[in-house]
Amino acid sequence: MSKTIYLDHNATTPPHPDLGPQVLPWLNVWGNPSSIHWAGREPKRLIREARLALATLLGVDPLELIFTSGGSESNNLAIQGVMLSQAIANSGRDELILSGVEHPSVRKTAEALARRGFKLKILPVDREGQLDLQLLREALNPRTALVSIMLANNETGHIFPIPEIVRWSHAAGALVHCDAVQGLGKIPVRLVDLGVDLASFSGHKFYALKGSGVLYVRRGLQLEGLIHGGAQERGRRAGTENLLAIASLGWMAGKAGEVAERGQAVHALRDHLEQRVLAEIPDVTITGAQGLRLPNTSSLILAGIDGETLLMNLDVQGFAVSTGAACSSGSPEPSPILLAMGLSREEAQSSLRLSLGWGTHAAEVDDFVATLKAVVTRLRGFRSLPHRER
Amino acid sequence: MDYKFGQSKKGRVLVAMSGGVDSSVAAALLVQQGYDVVGATMQVWDYTKGACDIQEGNGTCCSSTDVDDARAVADHLGIPFYVINCEAKFQAYVIDEFIGSYLEGRTPIPCSNCNTYLKFDHLLQKMKELECDFIATGHYARIDDADGEPKLISSHDDWKDQTYFLFTLEREILRHILFPVGHMKKPEVRELASKLGLNVAGKKDSTGICFIGKGGYSEFIEQRVAKDLLKPGPLRQYPGGEHLGLHEGIHHFTYGQRKGLGIATGSPLYVVRIDPALNTVWLGEEKHLYSSHLQIRRMNWLSEVRAGEEFTVKIRFQHKGARAKIREISADQAELEFIEPQRSVTPGQAAVFYRDKQLVGGGWIA
Repeated sequence: MSKTIYLDHNATTPPHPDLGPQVLPWLNVWGNPSSIHWAGREPKRLIREARLALATLLGVDPLELIFTSGGSESNNLAIQGVMLSQAIANSGRDELILSGVEHPSVRKTAEALARRGFKLKILPVDREGQLDLQLLREALNPRTALVSIMLANNETGHIFPIPEIVRWSHAAGALVHCDAVQGLGKIPVRLVDLGVDLASFSGHKFYALKGSGVLYVRRGLQLEGLIHGGAQERGRRAGTENLLAIASLGWMAGKAGEVAERGQAVHALRDHLEQRVLAEIPDVTITGAQGLRLPNTSSLILAGIDGETLLMNLDVQGFAVSTGAACSSGSPEPSPILLAMGLSREEAQSSLRLSLGWGTHAAEVDDFVATLKAVVTRLRGFRSLPHRER
Repeated sequence: MDYKFGQSKKGRVLVAMSGGVDSSVAAALLVQQGYDVVGATMQVWDYTKGACDIQEGNGTCCSSTDVDDARAVADHLGIPFYVINCEAKFQAYVIDEFIGSYLEGRTPIPCSNCNTYLKFDHLLQKMKELECDFIATGHYARIDDADGEPKLISSHDDWKDQTYFLFTLEREILRHILFPVGHMKKPEVRELASKLGLNVAGKKDSTGICFIGKGGYSEFIEQRVAKDLLKPGPLRQYPGGEHLGLHEGIHHFTYGQRKGLGIATGSPLYVVRIDPALNTVWLGEEKHLYSSHLQIRRMNWLSEVRAGEEFTVKIRFQHKGARAKIREISADQAELEFIEPQRSVTPGQAAVFYRDKQLVGGGWIA
């Protein structure tokens, strides 16, 4: 392909351009971090330093962080870990509350627990993706064990009012888990300010290597492990650590000073993109533009356009974007998140998600808008083409 | 990915890739010939639905290896590749019609419907949407447009020729179709596949109907229709009407069938007629299988024809073809008279007309 422009940073980010040279010496650090002898010292140091850097970034104690394989495992561990602990302790709290737009690794974990007898309440959101906190207040009760609400939505970028959610939930005696995977690297994330009891992060959404994630667990909180075995991560997550991925995540945590500055640049580009799209392409709406949003995300609805076809057209011209419909298996089901927000199937099928990153340039955005305009204009011409009937 | 796009003077092609040898070689040939090539697999059917009813969340084990094979070939060729979901359309236009035909005493050809409503309609739409100039498949068939008027010509490989399944194509789309392996014989296609290093070179040919599993088509139908539509009924002797016994539903039968009739008689008997209205299967002697004329509905013409013109007509895929004259002809119907009577003219199958190697039209046997 002559040119590649990547506008899908909410799916994954490229590794930070300075990361590559850092990784090479780590390849020689092959010892088992659990070993007592000399070979274990260097890998153990890398993990310790990574943990410290992340703890500093998030404003927590290093021992409150559990390294995992990624966001999905962190979410699974948080939700199953808390609910199983409550069951073991016979606490009388067996209820779980989610928003309707959580990531599948939260939603399906909760549904799996519901099949085993736990109670599940799912709070609806409105067309802008916003949660009515009054509904949360009404749902909370003495049996609520855990409230799990994401920091920012992967499709629309909508940012949820976590501190308020924490206040109401804690008042009802419930714990709060926050899937903060989409926040890290896009907005400053300080867990001390959010006040949550558990929070999930992923390395590959934060310019680190794939295969690392973190779960923050407030000190003293009971959490039943999912992967049993060795004493790694203080017995809460067994298995020899994915050293390269963890070290890369720690290294990125040290770069977090860049987040605020880079976030501003990305924000300006995103706004420029949206202004141009709205000015130059008719019948486009932006989902979730009313509330607080991630600075890099733009969720468009292009009336009369099939998102899947649009994606293919953009792909063959070198642009990587997303429709929110995970269609690697060929399933054209529209994004369940957009449907949960009350969008019609037609609207959801006409959606396009753009997510900018630290490496996005203004010229790329302009190139993209020009291409999008041409493709949308051409595709709208096909709208009424008849299919063969019997 | 280092594919180059938008640079070919020959144009852009959307190639339907099933993961089999033929369409893989078709894609490879197009790349060699210098087209911009986009590969697509139509996801039409979850092949594992019958065998593996495991619900999501309980550890789904099913996935189609054909899609993986097609994707591997596309990666090998350095072309973009997409999976296009057509399950709903396949269900409505191929599966439902397949089942409906058996319930009405006909023997359907699902491959024709798949070509008509999916490959050369749904995918044709994608071709236009993706700014492609052509659609290509791995069919054993040829297009000859030497005189500017494209003609559908049967394959160089008589044994593999698949034009029988393509008689419904609309004349105006022929100029947008490429059949890159149509001039080759199957062994040559395999040899080329292995020469090109395609991972599918040694893959078995698909045989029979792609969505019918080990249980056969009767079981497939029984799993999908209400029991009261599959009632037992009488077996009668043709033409006298003597009662010979009971059958377990007309969907078990096709014209000319001799085995599995569920009765023992002195002389061999064959299915000579299925009457859905009376739920009756008529059995007759071999001589009753032959007929010399047939009615054809929903004709599609790909070339001009004259009333009274004589053609070679194939009345099923494996049929070698028989000479026949058109007796009557209207916009979408025709009546044919065979020079020699033909065995088992079967409602639901197609009658496809050839002028030498050229497919001139076809229709459905009433």
